Amino acid sequence: MSNLGFQQFPEYQVPGVQQADFSPYESNGGSIVAIAGDDFVVIAADTRLSSGYNIHSRDQSKLFKLSDQTVLGSTGCWADTLSLTGLLKVRMQGYEHTHLRTMATDAVAQMLSITMYNRRFFPYYVSNILAGIDKDGKGVVYSYDPIGHCERAFYRAGGTAGTLLQPVLDNQIGHKNINLSSSELPKLTIERAVAIASDTFISAAERDIYTGDSVLINIITKDGIEEKKLQLRLD
Amino acid sequence: MALAEICKISNAPYMRRTAWDLSDVEEDLKAHTSNLANPYTLAAPPFENPMHNLNLIQANADKTGIKIDFDHGTTTLGFKYKGGVILAVDSRATGGQYIGSQTMKKIVEINQFLLGTLAGGAADCVYWDRVLSKECRLHELRNKERISVAAASKIMANIAHEYKGMGLSMGMMLAGYDKRGPGLYYVDSEGSRTPGNLFSVGSGSLFAYGVLDSGYHWDLEDDVAQELGRRAIYHATFRDAYSGGIIRVYHMTPTGWIKISETDCMELHYKYEEQKAQAAAAAQ
Amino acid sequence: MDLDIARDLPRPGFNFDNCKRNATLLKGGFKPPTTTKTGTTIVGIIFKDGVILGADTRATEGPIVSDKNCAKIHYLAKNIYCCGAGTAADTEMTTDLISSQLELHRLGTEREVRVVAANVMLKQMLFRYQGHISAALVLGGVDKTGPHIYSIHPHGSADKLPYATMGSGSLAAMSVFESRWRPDMSEEEGKKLVRDAIASGVFNDLGSGSNIDLCVIRKGSVEYLRNYELANKKGERKLDYRFKKGATPVLHTSVRDLIVNESVTVVPMETS
Repeated sequence: MSNLGFQQFPEYQVPGVQQADFSPYESNGGSIVAIAGDDFVVIAADTRLSSGYNIHSRDQSKLFKLSDQTVLGSTGCWADTLSLTGLLKVRMQGYEHTHLRTMATDAVAQMLSITMYNRRFFPYYVSNILAGIDKDGKGVVYSYDPIGHCERAFYRAGGTAGTLLQPVLDNQIGHKNINLSSSELPKLTIERAVAIASDTFISAAERDIYTGDSVLINIITKDGIEEKKLQLRLD
Repeated sequence: MALAEICKISNAPYMRRTAWDLSDVEEDLKAHTSNLANPYTLAAPPFENPMHNLNLIQANADKTGIKIDFDHGTTTLGFKYKGGVILAVDSRATGGQYIGSQTMKKIVEINQFLLGTLAGGAADCVYWDRVLSKECRLHELRNKERISVAAASKIMANIAHEYKGMGLSMGMMLAGYDKRGPGLYYVDSEGSRTPGNLFSVGSGSLFAYGVLDSGYHWDLEDDVAQELGRRAIYHATFRDAYSGGIIRVYHMTPTGWIKISETDCMELHYKYEEQKAQAAAAAQ
Repeated sequence: MDLDIARDLPRPGFNFDNCKRNATLLKGGFKPPTTTKTGTTIVGIIFKDGVILGADTRATEGPIVSDKNCAKIHYLAKNIYCCGAGTAADTEMTTDLISSQLELHRLGTEREVRVVAANVMLKQMLFRYQGHISAALVLGGVDKTGPHIYSIHPHGSADKLPYATMGSGSLAAMSVFESRWRPDMSEEEGKKLVRDAIASGVFNDLGSGSNIDLCVIRKGSVEYLRNYELANKKGERKLDYRFKKGATPVLHTSVRDLIVNESVTVVPMETS
């Protein structure tokens, strides 16, 4: 069996001694939704932090502002989220000091991927979604798997209710399985993106026990980040 | 600290001072992001045999609710013929039973004369393709000529061998064009590396092989070869639940790679259905 | 004459035919389908004139809420009700079974059944199945000996208490009782206390949620207050998600004539 890198038991089997399973992870719940438009991006996350059937916090933001143009949403094992975002913040600051400019969203995306892959053999148990404005001023979303595979997209849901929310976004934002011409489809404005993001969270809070309390919405445009908050179910 | 000296624990980690200074922070940061400076130095896990131990955590997923699902699944294929190399891939990424993406790029453009396909762990393939891309560029700068496909695939195979048994999961084809002509190699995370004329890799590879083998010969025309690759992937997406999305076809020519097409497999499905219906109507 | 049909009647009780097969499947890595759990906060107290039972209304399948408004206070007899936590099917079937046995008992003895009888029947049944029937119950009722609350654990142990809680939210609810319960409370006070206990489970325990059900049993009367309080209001969505006409693609159209051929032949009735 495994050990934490230091000697706990003699190597030979001691009769009657059982070593507990190594369980370094915990699932702390929460969901994220990000939707990118032509010149904006909306990212939303609920504020419930839980463990098992207990609620640790009803007001924990899962959105991390990395720069005026980039926000990272991160859920999963909260300890890993803290350790990863801590690293990113230091790296962002280091970049700013050495290059005298802020790291672009695309570069942050790549850095996050590589930083996560560093822990390939002991992964960060996190579901990351990065939202920001890219070099051309367009809204963009990057989503990650636990070991740093990164994909650029326009909309994405993640976290415990990710599997509930993604099909709704596929239909409403990606217009999947809708047989209408593009002129008949609603244009994606900031208002529509915010409305869909908050509506999906209202529905997720109904059915996912780890999602609830309230949802924090960050609207990122070239002018900066606007924050909104919406109350959800508390049960 | 005399007592600590006597007990011979003064150098133990838990006896270190707790107030961190700047150099500690820097050191810590370097340790946690070591692979930004040197891609080959990944953090060591705090347990032995990561493949076995990570699987243990996965096996307990039912009890703990903790499930680390990496993006997986694929059908990819590549074949050499008189006009170069054709690569065709699907674009579905699955984490467990869940379709994580329908638009994943499974052909990595390493440089103008080298393409890599991606099967198995997505992060593994993309990360090491990026490292390979750097090595290939360095080779060009050092030797004033492009790296051969053989050498490039050897670099990748060496990396795979280095990490053998640690749980990397890759099954990639490297396709290129060098002074020896078209090149196609299969490299995987077990460390094997084989040149060949025709490969298909991934969960849907058997279906692709079926179509490929019935239509393949060396003297194919370009458009026929491209269509063969596309059709083979389509049939794999039809039968394999872990493959789907967009079908991408690339062509490696003596002057570098060209992206031939990106077609949704649903669109192809109805196209082929209609062709079948027309053929049936003509036969009557 | 042999009664062929009667001979093939299934034997009463549980059927264990698939147990061996399922164990083999399980060993081979097969994942069994998940059962619906109630998660649950259930409580019961004794007040001046009787007992009050309370329950939340959430049922879960793993992390997913499978029923937002289920009823967890089950009928046992006219004067006895029982709250159930654990596997939904187990609590329902157990209480149903005991309910019918109690009715037979009442008819046999020609007396109102006592709460202690229900307690004994429930715990004996649960003990017989060694905890494999995962039902955690709060039993409450009023009989000629007065009001009674019992809490019964899945393995068959039972406690007779003045106030009891069960389920994943039992700690949250018990903290309310421990600080505020006292003997001889009025009905209004009692209802408020039970409401608060369930509410603390609903809000602080992720396995419990949605609404609050109450059941007040007095000497000679019962008041089942289904959805006594809607503790949570569903958020209001901003957009309208109805699809426009034509949003679904038409793959095939086939129009068929509806032809009805009907012929009537008269058969004379045999009257001999």
